Amino acid sequence: MIQDWRDLAQVLLNGVMAGSVLMLPAIGFNCIFAVLRYPNFAVAGYATVGGFAGWIANTQWGWPAGLALLAAFAVAGLTGLLAEETALKPLRPSGALTVAIASVALTLLLENAVRFAFGNDLRGYDLPVFRDWRFDGIRINPQQWYNTLYAAAAVAALFALLAFTRLGRAMRAVADNPQLADIKGVDPDRIACVAVLIGAGLAGIGGMLIGLDTSIDPLTGFRVVLSVFAAAVVGGLGSIPGAALGAMVVGIGEEMAGLLLEPAYRTVTAFLAILLVLSIRPEGLLGRRG
Amino acid sequence: MTQFRMGRRAALFGAATLPLFAVGGRAFGQGAPVVLGALPPLTGAGGPYGPAMLRAIQGVVEEANAAGGIRGRQIRVVAEDDQTNPDAGVRGTRKLIDVDRVSAVLGTWASAVTTAVAPLCWENRVPLFTVSGADSITQLPHQGYIFRTQPNSQLQIRTGTDWLLAKGARRVFHLAAQSPFAQSSQEVMTQRMRAAGGQVTGFIVYERDKTNFRSEIDQVMRSRSDTIMLNGYLPDTTILLRELFRAGFDGRKFTFAYAAPASVFQSLPNEVTNGLITFQPSPDVDSGAFKRLQSRFGNTEVDPYSAQTHDHAALAILAAAQTGDASGTAIRDNVRKISQGGGEKVDNVTDGLRAIAAGRAINFEGASGPVDFEPSGDISGTKFRFEQAENGRYKVLEIA
Amino acid sequence: MDAYIVAMLVFAGVYALMALGLNVIWGLAGMVNLGLVGFFGLGAYATALLTKNFLWPMPMGWAAGAAVAALAGGLMALIVARLRGDYLAIVTLGFAEVIRLVASNEVWLTNGTDGISGIPGPWRGQVSPQEFNLIFLGLVWAAVGVAFILLARISHSPFGRVLRAVREDEDVAAVAGKPVLWFKIRAFALGAAVLGFAGALYAHYNAYIAPEGFAPLLTIYIVLALTAGGVGAMRGAIVGALLVVLLLEGTRFLAQVIPGVSPVQKAALREGIIALSLILLLRFRPQGLIPERTRTRAKEAS
Repeated sequence: MIQDWRDLAQVLLNGVMAGSVLMLPAIGFNCIFAVLRYPNFAVAGYATVGGFAGWIANTQWGWPAGLALLAAFAVAGLTGLLAEETALKPLRPSGALTVAIASVALTLLLENAVRFAFGNDLRGYDLPVFRDWRFDGIRINPQQWYNTLYAAAAVAALFALLAFTRLGRAMRAVADNPQLADIKGVDPDRIACVAVLIGAGLAGIGGMLIGLDTSIDPLTGFRVVLSVFAAAVVGGLGSIPGAALGAMVVGIGEEMAGLLLEPAYRTVTAFLAILLVLSIRPEGLLGRRG
Repeated sequence: MTQFRMGRRAALFGAATLPLFAVGGRAFGQGAPVVLGALPPLTGAGGPYGPAMLRAIQGVVEEANAAGGIRGRQIRVVAEDDQTNPDAGVRGTRKLIDVDRVSAVLGTWASAVTTAVAPLCWENRVPLFTVSGADSITQLPHQGYIFRTQPNSQLQIRTGTDWLLAKGARRVFHLAAQSPFAQSSQEVMTQRMRAAGGQVTGFIVYERDKTNFRSEIDQVMRSRSDTIMLNGYLPDTTILLRELFRAGFDGRKFTFAYAAPASVFQSLPNEVTNGLITFQPSPDVDSGAFKRLQSRFGNTEVDPYSAQTHDHAALAILAAAQTGDASGTAIRDNVRKISQGGGEKVDNVTDGLRAIAAGRAINFEGASGPVDFEPSGDISGTKFRFEQAENGRYKVLEIA
Repeated sequence: MDAYIVAMLVFAGVYALMALGLNVIWGLAGMVNLGLVGFFGLGAYATALLTKNFLWPMPMGWAAGAAVAALAGGLMALIVARLRGDYLAIVTLGFAEVIRLVASNEVWLTNGTDGISGIPGPWRGQVSPQEFNLIFLGLVWAAVGVAFILLARISHSPFGRVLRAVREDEDVAAVAGKPVLWFKIRAFALGAAVLGFAGALYAHYNAYIAPEGFAPLLTIYIVLALTAGGVGAMRGAIVGALLVVLLLEGTRFLAQVIPGVSPVQKAALREGIIALSLILLLRFRPQGLIPERTRTRAKEAS
């Protein structure tokens, strides 16, 4: 299948493109996990909600894609915050697993709320479709390249927030040690709200990026959810750089699988990646033990 | 005039139902409505198709009710969502058959749902009208209770391949979603292409739920094929068409009409869809059915599955009207009497009900084709309509 | 109507068996299993292939279904026993998807997405459909009864007490000299066996199985059943399964009378109500309708 270096480079490039779509929901997932310590399966629902919010901004209000991404972030983030406060937060005393299970139900609820409002039809963004650029036989699609840039910009903004702001430092403190942070006068409730807002918002941008690349329907988030979890686990639950790395590993792995295994088994690759990482390094590539 | 017809109807009604009471068929009261069950996918993978399929059924039923119903009895549709899941489909069918006492189940989509609910239908003597494509469905021991308006996949792929060969295709790449007929399609295609001096340059079965198929498209591009056969469903075909355009694929793009119904123009720009060729079972281009279909649906989209469920409802209603008995067995026994043979050709339920009331034999020609059935329940003698996308519309190339 | 109620009670019985199986893994041993539909599927495929292709008698097929699922469950536990619950949730969810993909793609073995039809059922064809339904109703609920008695006894046996100890605090159990891994493997295998057995019964009832039948939606229903009934209590699993079927089917009739919404919106409402009721149950009755009596005080306080 792979005849020269170009074929390999193309597969790697495809993997990076695929990975950059998984990256934001995976980071969102880990962002919530880092602070609240439960796996929020509802990122699939938040991604779908973000995809639809961006679609309305883009096709109904005529916003350009860059601006619509902010709408996707805001609507998905607020949806996440609302869901967290009303549905998930009261369950925290019952343990992380209870919250996780409620989040599975939440994603089903969000999928059907979107279905109720918009129906099942596929919807495309109002964007021209570009031909690929070609460099010495390697093809890159402008849209997918822009999507990678959008994702990278979102990640850069998040890193800047975490590294350079008081809020970011407080978030890291809570993620490191909630009790200690509490003593230092950081309000864990407020930090939790911010983490959920950012996490769900990033998932929403991820959903819209899928929409920019393809089209959206109520199942958009559901289709990528297993790969997103795989990315988060491979990178290390709760680790934000880990999620970015994990997304690339899973993205490239799935594209390679198309050549090595059968394309019909791409999701299996994601699962095998999870098992492999967990047997060798249970805390994930960049995660900490604990 | 009306009164005369009523009289005739009443007389026919009496004549037709007397023997049925004798054999103990389902009681036939003048007032009680006839209930038809619909089991389309409203959630899950079939979600993009189910709602339109159900609307088509409801449209026919409204039309039939406006035309006086089945010999005076109104018709009611009860719809259950099969959730594109055999387990949910079986529970839904149980409810339709045991609680609503439906005379027929219409519009199952996923092959797995159809195969799962089929035994319930034949055991309870309720005919099942389906659009599912798996060849194995009509091979079930269904005692005549299954009617499939979707041509079986072997026939479809044979027709499509032969048409492509006639248009000069020699190197065809086969890109198929994982489905009950991916493998058998590939076998038929390979054999057909080879016999005519062509070849299938590649065959990929992909996972339907993925959101990108870049590496698959790379393989297509490397194969230097003159034609690509897209053997999937709407969500994945939409992504593949976009990727093919981006990659600059300049060969022929060919797919089943259900994989790219007119709604594809809403989610894809015209430059992406232009040149795409689709095919589907169709009434004859010279027939009134086709002209009426065109004028009736006009610019509004009618996808192949809704055309078929339109015919499901019409067939069930006309078959019940034919005998004046709305039991499942009566419908099973009369579908072929009103859908084939030398009777007067009708292409809608109003004309059909009128002709039956007047005592004339009819031959229903549907929106999805002549709808003649073989003993197995498969349709026979259907023609296929080939259309090409041009600036956001499908133009008919030919019917063959 | 009678036939419908009987059929739904059969479904409820199958779901009850599944909830019982899940309760061993999750309720007793404290390991979450969001891949339970995968074990259910393994059992269904095992018996379908053996009884249809190799003409094994049905009871042997059922036993084989349970055995295959138990084996897979034991292996799964061996791999994941060291993992925390959150990882476990993801791994098991992925496992079920892998089972579904393998069943879809390995056509030589499973007949792919076509599924396997014509699976024999006890006296199917020799009796009327309604009699078959009644036979199966008896069979399934007898199985539920046997499983209930067995599991309830296990739950109160020394083995069950150790499992609870492991659930509450693994390290304490280990310090007390209990081989925690071995207990976890046995619990997972036992629960998976019940799930596989449920799958086997289901295959013979429906006469047909296909990969699409083993979708994550069913997992949600069973988790809902167990949560509704009360995690940890065997009686709760059965009550919960009955409630879930009541909810699944009741929403059909409810949806019919809602005016002014399209069929798709009704379908969305139905699925939405099911999701919402799980969230509400967790919120207002986290211990379930039938709380586990042996639950420790420390747990309640935390």
